[in-house]
Amino acid sequence: MILTDREIQIGLTRKQIVIDPAPRSDAYSSTSVDLTLDPVLTLFEIGEAAVLKVVDPTHEKYNIDAALKELTKSHTIDVKHGYDLEPRQLILAWTKEYVHLPIDARLAARVEGKSSLARMGVGVHITAPTIHAGFDGQIRLEIVNHGHLPIKLRPGMKICQLIFEQTLGTPQKGYSGQFSGQVAK
Amino acid sequence: MMRLKVEKIGEGLHPSEAIVSVKTSVGSERIVVSSRSIESGSIPVGWPLGTKDQTTLVELPRETESGAWRIWVPSDQLIEIEERMRA
Repeated sequence: MILTDREIQIGLTRKQIVIDPAPRSDAYSSTSVDLTLDPVLTLFEIGEAAVLKVVDPTHEKYNIDAALKELTKSHTIDVKHGYDLEPRQLILAWTKEYVHLPIDARLAARVEGKSSLARMGVGVHITAPTIHAGFDGQIRLEIVNHGHLPIKLRPGMKICQLIFEQTLGTPQKGYSGQFSGQVAK
Repeated sequence: MMRLKVEKIGEGLHPSEAIVSVKTSVGSERIVVSSRSIESGSIPVGWPLGTKDQTTLVELPRETESGAWRIWVPSDQLIEIEERMRA
């Protein structure tokens, strides 16, 4: 069951949903709330095209964080000029808002794109849109420009929307019961 | 609710993130978490999902580097905390 704007606001009031800073009143639609773009981006630097590089996620020494640090650089968007996302370019980005769904909140959320950006070819996530109960942090976005023209990104722009869904019951990890007290205190 | 002991081993790609190492029953796992979630060297993991010998199954707040959500950890890596009441 998808939460309406009213239910999202009630969830925020009851701390069943934490969004910090709190969304402005114009950030809501009937069944979603918009989040905005943080100024910090991670840009890929794949180097010379003539040098063959292959990422092997199954390699025993594969370390995605080390790989990303080797292949990327941090970039802070200039407020005045913005950042031009080129066609076919993938970047990593974050929402400006910190989001927290308590473990026992009986809620999950999905990150979805904005149709206004999608129509120009901008996707904001790649195949992993679910925000599970227990998540906290600024939401990572995998932004790709599938369009034909560069798209200017500016910090604070509406970049994605969150759709909240009520779960059927409490997840095991949010259910205080049988294993309580069986570990070191 | 339980918290799982972690060791911070690096900074994440974003200033709000940290990379932590978690001790599991078969080695260690790396996971990127929000720095805000780290308190006294531990992160929240909710209630345990199972126990076996001296190990406990828990679900992490985010996927580990190897793609795991649920991991078996030595039970002494968990700390029980008082549940906070919400309004």
